[in-house]
Amino acid sequence: MSIFHAMNNSASALTAQRLRMDVVSSNVANAETTRATVNENGEYEPYRRKMVEMAPQDKSFRSFLHKAQGTESASGVEVTNIVEDEDPFKMEYNPNHPDANDDGYVELPNVDPLKEMVDLMSTTRSYEANVTSLNASKGMLMKALEIGK
Amino acid sequence: MNLFNGAISTLENSLDFASAKNKVISSNVSNIDTPNYKAKDIVFKDVLDNASSQSLEANRTNSKHLPFNQDSESSHEIITKNNTRYNHNGNNVDVDKEMAELAKNQIYYQALTDRINGKFGSLQTVIRGGS
Repeated sequence: MSIFHAMNNSASALTAQRLRMDVVSSNVANAETTRATVNENGEYEPYRRKMVEMAPQDKSFRSFLHKAQGTESASGVEVTNIVEDEDPFKMEYNPNHPDANDDGYVELPNVDPLKEMVDLMSTTRSYEANVTSLNASKGMLMKALEIGK
Repeated sequence: MNLFNGAISTLENSLDFASAKNKVISSNVSNIDTPNYKAKDIVFKDVLDNASSQSLEANRTNSKHLPFNQDSESSHEIITKNNTRYNHNGNNVDVDKEMAELAKNQIYYQALTDRINGKFGSLQTVIRGGS
């Protein structure tokens, strides 16, 4: 058991939330990108919205032992995967667009600015909460150093 | 003769508990957005042991042997709270509660450190003969 365990927990969350923020900003930046990937037919495909998958970070022997014994231990968080949103692309009628199909419709990314903004707020708040928790742990460790002074 | 009158070891245990609690809170806060994560809490074990006196002790011939009852050497135990309301993603971390607990725990810890320092201080006064 390390004395920095609590700080490591908070730090892992800060990393994860920062990655979430990066993914959100990538989604917003590519909200109009019609040429993100090339599919198997050699045609351009629009950008697909990306999401972050998170799971508690307990891969250590100690945590598995605890689980087997029916007790719990505290853990940080980790990003396990970045998945793509399989929602259909938005269709917009714009015959002059270079990527318009034969009917004059353009496929646009399935990015919803509203969803991204909500995600962004949630990320910011979680990040702030974790900074507070990190500072609390730091304060306690600094106080512990004063014992016996 | 007990020089410290048990006060220091009590404070020590309490500090132990506070630092373990801090760890649990930081774990809950860091998993604020994790789907299906269940909030954890920490409780003093004496209370639990009294409530369910089912702790089975095994004879340990070597200090490296693991005890039957995993946490039999610490005074606290981490439990998972499965019985509260859930978020839409199965997560039941209440951020307001966690932050309040965090602030409370921090003040509790600082009070304990002050107290243990006071204890050492008065001991020093005694050793120096009041000078």
